[in-house]
Order: sequence, then structure tokens, then C-alpha cells
Amino acid sequence: MEQPNPTIHQPIRLKIMAALKALPPREWLEFTRLKAILGATDGNLGAHLGTLEESGYVEAQKDFVRKKPRTRVRLTGAGRRAFEEYVAYLREIVEQAEQSG
Amino acid sequence: MSMTNSNAARSLDEIQRAQRRSAAAYSYQKASPHLIVWGVIWVAGYSTTYFRPQANAAVWLILVLLGVTADFWIGRRAATESSHAHGRRFAASLLAAFLFFVALFTIMPPPSGAQVGAIIPIFIGLCYAIAGIWKQGLRFVLLGLAVGALTVAGYFWLARFFLLWMAAVGGGALILGGLWLRRV
Repeated sequence: MEQPNPTIHQPIRLKIMAALKALPPREWLEFTRLKAILGATDGNLGAHLGTLEESGYVEAQKDFVRKKPRTRVRLTGAGRRAFEEYVAYLREIVEQAEQSG
Repeated sequence: MSMTNSNAARSLDEIQRAQRRSAAAYSYQKASPHLIVWGVIWVAGYSTTYFRPQANAAVWLILVLLGVTADFWIGRRAATESSHAHGRRFAASLLAAFLFFVALFTIMPPPSGAQVGAIIPIFIGLCYAIAGIWKQGLRFVLLGLAVGALTVAGYFWLARFFLLWMAAVGGGALILGGLWLRRV
């Protein structure tokens, strides 16, 4: 990979992807939990999730639990692959620097 | 858009931190209902054993069966959308613990019921502490230490009321611990 994936490269989106990748495949994470894990605000997290959803890396589901609205998100297959490629890209940079230094 | 070595290393650290927090929160969320169920069972079991010691064996048998059934039900609900291995792993863990105690009490039969009532919670506390160390879940470690320490304290300093102590403090610690794990 010559250039980092611009969608994942943004720090908050990178953390979102990392947090979702830590879950078992196809597992959902509630928006409120993700917000607490990342220490993000509603608006900020919602905007970045929207970008990831448009890229097809994340899917969201809205429903009601005991009459309360609930939003859940999870990584898609494409999201997992993109994240793994991005991590490989980061590791490559670090390893190259270690070898040359 | 290129990246320096230090930026890449910092991003990898941030990824690791986010993954650790997310994995711990996920484990807490999954463990929370199990803890609450077993907290209620401890409250019921230890208090019944204190007030009606003659019914001890039957009551614990019924309660443990109820607890295992509840664990299966919780595990199945959790498995509907993620891994079906969750329920199976939980059942296998319970079976392993059961076989351990059968072997332990066959080799070293405890002279008193209070000793049985103390050893099992200490073992459970140990399991939580070890799980916390391996899963990097500090709350599991603290909960395990609390259950172990409260059990030892009650056994030595409140021997007369040990069963009531375990009902209120041991069971209460599990219930409160379960509620605490729900919070991120």
C-alpha cells in the first residue's frame, strides 16, 4: 500500500474501527458503549460513523428496546479487510524504520 | 499523504488501546447477567442454609440447577447474533468446575459445611481474578479479590454468622459487581 486509506486514517475513525474489530465477527456494539469506550461526543461519533457507513466499512442498525431507541454498529467484511490492510501498512512503516535504523 | 515512523507507531498504540478497552467492555457486558444470577442464588442459598440447615443439600441442588439453566438461557440469547461458542464454553467451564469440586471433596472431605461454603466462593473469586488478568479486565480482578477477601474475612471473624454474611455480602458483591460491569 503506497498511501494510507484516507477514510481510516482519521484518528477517531481509526479508533472506531479498532474498537469494533476487537469484537467477535458480526457482533454489534451499542452506540452509547462505543461513545464511552472512545470518550467521544454524540455529534462527533455520529458524523464519523456516517462516513464509515458510506464507505461500506460499518453497518448500523436502529431499533427499540423497552420503548427506548437503540443504535448499534458493527464492522462489515469490507471494513475488517480495510482495517487489517491499514494495520499491515502501519507495521510495514515501523518495521522498515527499525531495519534502516 | 505519507506517514512517519513515529506517527505509525503512535497509531498502532492507539489501536491497541482502543481494542483493549473494547474487548474488556465486551467481556464485562457478557459477564454481567451471569454475575447477577449467581448473586441472587448465593443470597437465596446461604440464607436458606442458615435458617433451614436440614434443607441445605436439596436447596443448593435446586438453586444450582436453576443457575445453570439461567446461564444457558443467557448464553443462548447472547449467541443468537454472535458466536454460538459462548454458551458452549460457559457450560464446559461449569462442568470443569463441578468436576474439580467433586475430585477435591472426594480426596479431602471438608469437616464442616462452612468450609464448603467458603472454599467454593474463594475458588470463584480466583477464577474472576485470573480471567481479569488474562483478559486485561481490571474490574474482574477487583471483583475476584473482593469476593475472596470478603469470604476469608467472614469465615474467620464472623464464624457464627458466616452463612448470613455470605448471603448478604458475598451474594451482594456479585449482584453489585454485575451491575458495575454493565457500566462502561
